[in-house]
Amino acid sequence: MYFGKTSFALEYNEMTVLLNPGIWNEEPVVPDDFGARIVIATNQSEDAVGNAATIAVNSKAWFLGNQGAADKASEKGVKPWLVHILESEVPYEIPDLKITPYALSRIDEGEGGRIENLGLYIEIGDMKVGYLGDAVIRGPFEQFDMDVLIVPVGGDGVFQVKDAVSLCIDAKPRVGVPMRWSSEEDPKKFSKYIQQFGQGISPVILEPGQVLKVFWAAGNEFRYELD
Amino acid sequence: MSERKKIVIDLEESEKVKLGERSELNSIDASGVLSVNNVSERSRIWNVKVHLGETRGATDIGDEKLVAGEIDVGGKWEANYGLNVESPILTFKEVFDTCGTIETDEPHWAYVKDKENPVKITLTITNETDGEIDNIILNKTIPPELSNIEIMSVKSGNAEYDEGTKQVVWKDFVVYPHESSSLVLRARGYVDDTEPKGAGDVVITYRGEDQQRSNLNPDLTALTEFLTGIETAETEPNQWQCTLECSNESDLIVRLDKAEVYLTPEDGSEKQKMIEETPGIELEPNQEWTSSFEVESKSTPKCTQDIIYTPAREIKKRVLGTIKKVPQEIPVYSIDYEKTFDPPSVSSFDKTPVEVTIEVTNNGSAKINEITIEDNLPDDVMPPTSEHVTVWIRNEEYTGPFEFVIDPEDQDPEKPHKISFRLEDLRNTVGELEPGESIKINYAIMAWRSRPEKEYPSPVTCTANTEPAGVPAIVGSPEDGHKLGVIYKKRAISTKKAINKGVGAGEYIVVLVVTNSGEVTAENIQVSDWIPSGFDYVSTDPEEDAPEVSAVSDGSKMVWTWTRMNPGDKKKLRVIVQGEGEYERREPEVTSI
Repeated sequence: MYFGKTSFALEYNEMTVLLNPGIWNEEPVVPDDFGARIVIATNQSEDAVGNAATIAVNSKAWFLGNQGAADKASEKGVKPWLVHILESEVPYEIPDLKITPYALSRIDEGEGGRIENLGLYIEIGDMKVGYLGDAVIRGPFEQFDMDVLIVPVGGDGVFQVKDAVSLCIDAKPRVGVPMRWSSEEDPKKFSKYIQQFGQGISPVILEPGQVLKVFWAAGNEFRYELD
Repeated sequence: MSERKKIVIDLEESEKVKLGERSELNSIDASGVLSVNNVSERSRIWNVKVHLGETRGATDIGDEKLVAGEIDVGGKWEANYGLNVESPILTFKEVFDTCGTIETDEPHWAYVKDKENPVKITLTITNETDGEIDNIILNKTIPPELSNIEIMSVKSGNAEYDEGTKQVVWKDFVVYPHESSSLVLRARGYVDDTEPKGAGDVVITYRGEDQQRSNLNPDLTALTEFLTGIETAETEPNQWQCTLECSNESDLIVRLDKAEVYLTPEDGSEKQKMIEETPGIELEPNQEWTSSFEVESKSTPKCTQDIIYTPAREIKKRVLGTIKKVPQEIPVYSIDYEKTFDPPSVSSFDKTPVEVTIEVTNNGSAKINEITIEDNLPDDVMPPTSEHVTVWIRNEEYTGPFEFVIDPEDQDPEKPHKISFRLEDLRNTVGELEPGESIKINYAIMAWRSRPEKEYPSPVTCTANTEPAGVPAIVGSPEDGHKLGVIYKKRAISTKKAINKGVGAGEYIVVLVVTNSGEVTAENIQVSDWIPSGFDYVSTDPEEDAPEVSAVSDGSKMVWTWTRMNPGDKKKLRVIVQGEGEYERREPEVTSI
């Protein structure tokens, strides 16, 4: 499910993984009472951590993030025993879910320079999802076998459309999903370029509130449905 | 034999015709002059009346009879009248074809700018009457845009081009009833601006002898010098012979229409008609005509006469015509174009989508019916697919049919591609492209690992044509035009190496640190290091970065290959080797693109 910006909830069976429930212009993208089992922030910026702590506390969920994000979540009240610090290339694994973080980076537009942002390789159920958070570099993601690749396209300290398209073309996921666009043109361009140059890749633009359902039909045919 | 002189009734009718640019009839004004000419050298005529009867139909003459009065020797009396006609007796058509070398149903009607226009001018005159038309003189003005004037064919008469006056004169010919005659000219047309040009006017004069536009069939009555008298001579006692004598005293032919003689009886009773003739004969000058009767009378018979005569007339008629055709306006077709890349430059060794926009503008004065754009994409560029082309006409998106061909038909970025876009038959779809209007196409290409040392020209050629198509207007870039800019991003792959003693005897730990310290992502990085003979490869930390090890003449070789390293990426490898001897150091080698 897409909430807008970089916020997604991945659901499989009874498990919900919430990604980057950021606060933008002082408005949370994801409601405080959203129920999740795991809440992840890929970096410590407000547009990534947002109200993750509140959601995690309310739903008694695990909070996962890099050191900076974890510190921030702790400051906001997440109990230490529910905080799990993600380290690069060290998988976090529970039944039906394996998350392997990779140290990428984003540009800190406020302070300047770069800060760490984790790209997540998420194996959930029988699906493999790449989620680049607020990445401005691609790291090893082009080498991964992914069913769905979720990439930023806004260029505001993160990938520009061209970078997102370039990664998709190299990585060849089955579905490419843009996020965090700066203008309405960004996802359209992403979609256009993927259709044109990304052979075998289906671009899917999600509107906030929309649900993308991906599954293996008959066990071997990849399909997706957009709510 | 002396000349037989008859009064001449002359009908000279004229028609003035104005034709439009395409030889269509714009107006025709006709008028006539009816004149009575006394051709006598010594006899005046008087009581002249011209009788028109019911033949005035197409004219504005109100009276059936025109009174001309007295006309002296050699004199003339005239009456003007208007005429109502719908078409001339001679029709004319000019076909000004700006591209005479291409056969089409309709002629080409516009010049192409800055190119040679093979102009063909066909002038055709048709006699629409049952009589001959002669004295034809056609003057065609040759506009300054034309040179190398050649008279290709002339069906009849003589045609010459006068360079000084810039006139073609065609004359000395007759066009027979319902026949046509043609003159074909060829010229080279050249224009270097887009202002519409004139094709040169045409003026034709002609004469249709013995022809008329009206239906007038005039007759004439008049008097002239004509003697009449009755001679009474007694042949026997109280027997008289009465003779009516008429004598033409003029030098004109006189027609005697009626001769009647009446006798008044001696007893005063009612007159008796004794001669009643309608001879209708034409009397030559000095010729006499007589008619007589005999009567018994004691006294000299008293006779009276009633004579009607008139000078004979003949009708001469002709039609004089003038046709003026206004110059056809010849617009000029010309195009300009603009091609842009967005972004105009791409980072070297990167994959970047680039929007290509080509806008072709009609900057001439003629409407354009078809546009072709040929864009040449260099190698290291992935071409678009045909379904991802957007077209705008007059700044509105166009979704109608067009041709878009990519050659070769693939998306291989290692090959150059030619893109051909063609939009035709605008006249019957969205309307021709008016002056000032434009067609814009947009598609995306993918710059594919552009190399900074290379140049990526993407020349374009645009052509346009009218309907019917003639010489195309072409505008384009030089062969090395429209270069896709490549922003050089420094590549720098550094390798550092340390050889440390390991835990066990003969064990060494070779530490290799490979760093992308450049500004651009490096791809296909290959790092190789050498293990001296006497030593064997044992393991690598991390394990997933184990090299390919192969034997070489003086030891073995370790090779690592990574598909991509982003700026700042670093690989640290700890390779354990074991053996005996001195571990000689050689520097690792690194290659990438």
